[in-house]
Amino acid sequence: MTTPTLTPYRSRLHPARAGFGRLLHAEWTKFRTVRAWPVVLGVAVVAVVLICRLGASGSSTSGGGPQTFGPGGERVVDLFRFAHRPLTGDGSITVRVTGLKSADSRSIEPWAKAGIIVKQNLQEGSAYAAVMATPAHGIRMQWNFTHDTAGSASDVATAPHWLRLTRRGEHLTGYESADGRTWSKIKDVRLPGLPRTVQVGLLAGTPAHNNVHRAFGGTSETYGGGLVTGTYDHLALKGTSTATAWKSTDVGGPVPNGPTPQDAQPGRTNVSPSGTYTLTGRGDIAPAEDGPDMVQMSFQGVFVGILFMVALGTLFVTGEYKRGLIRTTFTATPARLKVLAAKTTVIAAVTFAAGLLATAVGFSLAQSVLRHNGFTPPEFPDLSLLQNPALRAVVGSAALLSLVAVLALGVAAVLRNSAGTIAVVVALVILPQILSFAFPLPAAQWLLRVTPAAAFAIQQGVTRYPQVDHNCLPESGCYPLSPWHGFAVLAAYAVAALLLAAWRLRRRDA
Amino acid sequence: MSDATIEVLDLRKRYGRTLAVDGLSFRVEPGTVTGFVGPNGAGKSTTMRALLGLDAPDEGAALIGGRPYHALRTPLLEVGALLDAAALHPARRGRDHLRWLAHSHGLPAGRVDEVLEQVGMETAARRRAGGYSLGMRQRLGLAAALLGDPPVLLLDEPVNGLDPEGIQWMRTLLRTLAAEGRAVLVSSHLMSELEDTADHLVVIGRGRLIADTAVSDLLAAASGDRVRLRTDARARAMELLTAQGATVAVTGRDTLTVTGLRAGRIVELLNADDVPFTEVGAHRATLEEAYMELTRDAVEFTASAGTDEVAS
Repeated sequence: MTTPTLTPYRSRLHPARAGFGRLLHAEWTKFRTVRAWPVVLGVAVVAVVLICRLGASGSSTSGGGPQTFGPGGERVVDLFRFAHRPLTGDGSITVRVTGLKSADSRSIEPWAKAGIIVKQNLQEGSAYAAVMATPAHGIRMQWNFTHDTAGSASDVATAPHWLRLTRRGEHLTGYESADGRTWSKIKDVRLPGLPRTVQVGLLAGTPAHNNVHRAFGGTSETYGGGLVTGTYDHLALKGTSTATAWKSTDVGGPVPNGPTPQDAQPGRTNVSPSGTYTLTGRGDIAPAEDGPDMVQMSFQGVFVGILFMVALGTLFVTGEYKRGLIRTTFTATPARLKVLAAKTTVIAAVTFAAGLLATAVGFSLAQSVLRHNGFTPPEFPDLSLLQNPALRAVVGSAALLSLVAVLALGVAAVLRNSAGTIAVVVALVILPQILSFAFPLPAAQWLLRVTPAAAFAIQQGVTRYPQVDHNCLPESGCYPLSPWHGFAVLAAYAVAALLLAAWRLRRRDA
Repeated sequence: MSDATIEVLDLRKRYGRTLAVDGLSFRVEPGTVTGFVGPNGAGKSTTMRALLGLDAPDEGAALIGGRPYHALRTPLLEVGALLDAAALHPARRGRDHLRWLAHSHGLPAGRVDEVLEQVGMETAARRRAGGYSLGMRQRLGLAAALLGDPPVLLLDEPVNGLDPEGIQWMRTLLRTLAAEGRAVLVSSHLMSELEDTADHLVVIGRGRLIADTAVSDLLAAASGDRVRLRTDARARAMELLTAQGATVAVTGRDTLTVTGLRAGRIVELLNADDVPFTEVGAHRATLEEAYMELTRDAVEFTASAGTDEVAS
């Protein structure tokens, strides 16, 4: 046994605490110094920008017909049968709705409407508030197209129901009653700038029937028809009116949306001697959701950018496992979860920064191309990069790219193998989109709810209103979840992958 | 600050059905180069991984300065390790590899240049690691181990792939590092590589300790009472000495190795019988011979060791 005669050696370097900032610095150095990685990131930016721009140049519009805009500037549909009288100053209208049924050969639309309305004037798109009965959604109070409040679930097909709307200045209050004696308030709303004299009366309308034929590679979607009859009695108007008789108008003209204009007939109004009003009308009072989504159209390159992000997130981890470098990493930093956190932070930051550059430039280029191709105001208002929905879509798409890279990193830390990781992440993010085109609609929508592909909802610029039925067709770029809910699905997957990775890192030998 | 020691206490590690390390204990003191020797699969790398906190021991402990690795705040300043010289990203420059390591401990950039100079890699470090020879990788790995100027060094087969000049350089470096008061543990499956380098030896086989001894003691024991004899009358000398109870082995055209008689007695006997000889001297065993003798039992053992050898 050799007896040491020397004093034990001590490092001449100052023991610097291994704080998290230093780990970030180390991981950033790792990323920066494998030249292919920053290059891939740069190529990804260029690819995303180019494809966003090229994708947009494939879309053009000739402007279509005249458009209607609501008080908030949004595109709306404002077509209905209106039996009306002017009302000056404060007052109220009360009616009992006794029935609402389809007047054509098709079954009634869930959002068909029969009720009472106070409207600024007879012009399409003017301000209004209405209380109405619907076949499938009970009693509703709606105002200025985009707003909707549910009342009771009463169905006028089974029992008549009383509705009342009172006006006091700019305030309109909706009430409902089952018996005409006990009233419950639905909502009090304010219509700013409502003139002293307004039109008040009965309404009948329905959204058009919607026919969809889906097949892999082609979908046809047509709107047309739709005619309903509402029946009313006990109509009472309180307040000052310059007219003594009810007049009927088809707001928006007699030819709203028939399959062929000459087939469309004007609405009808009948008044029986006993005071029963029968209104037959077509058209709808609702926000328009059928136009192209000018925001979403500008992000076609993001789909391709995802592939680059998956590769980066994967290689940043598997590149170390493949050659045993991970042991050097864990020798320098025995706290493995901190290493995972540092790697995640670095990959998230670099991919987000690159993604943001790509989506901001890509979006701006795509917008200018779209404007050149006929997408012009007022039908397609200019979208500011710093305002929603464009801001949300630009930042959200960058965050989407970043989260996909993090998801890949987490999966890579679990599987420790490049090919397997890339296969899993592509199957999770890209495959559902492709399958959704082929699957039956319920299955397709389910896929786009439960897989990370749901996050593409963040790119949607068209607000989906619950009071408007629409076929959420994947091939039309519709995602069933709202933007942030869809984004949260992807975030949940990324977090789950990281937790699984953390659990495996702690448990397994390196 | 902890003592610069390495301690392995009753360490046991099993991978599936294979027992890689089976109750191993030893201690490495500061100021020595300790050779960690055993055939491939003996459990050397497993022990080193356990010391570095990469593999969790099933039983026992592997401690640096009395503490498990994961308890070290700034591990690179306390232990330098070279486990696998191939563990480099081929697209990363050697210098950048050291840079991220330095950043992980907040070490100054100048430190990277210092260790690169110390291992003679100033120029090569500007190239990508994918083009390095095994020797260059070993030097870079050693630079990484020295980066934190640590009092403890764990080096797994560091001379593997070095040219003779490199081996000589490595020997000198290891001796210097130990002379500064560091504890240096160097594993090898070839005892000859440790010749003139190690002060102390820990020999293991099949995960168990075979010997824990100073090199000088081992050599003395292995040299034993053997005497080397050079003579032109080989046959007569053999006959005479065998008759006196010695064991005589022929080791060359005119050389014999005699066991069982001291050198002085051999000279007496040869002179008495007028047997000519040109040289009589104590035999000095090489480390390799000493090792072979030491592991004779283990070799028999290996011969019957079936399929459950562990790749280290």
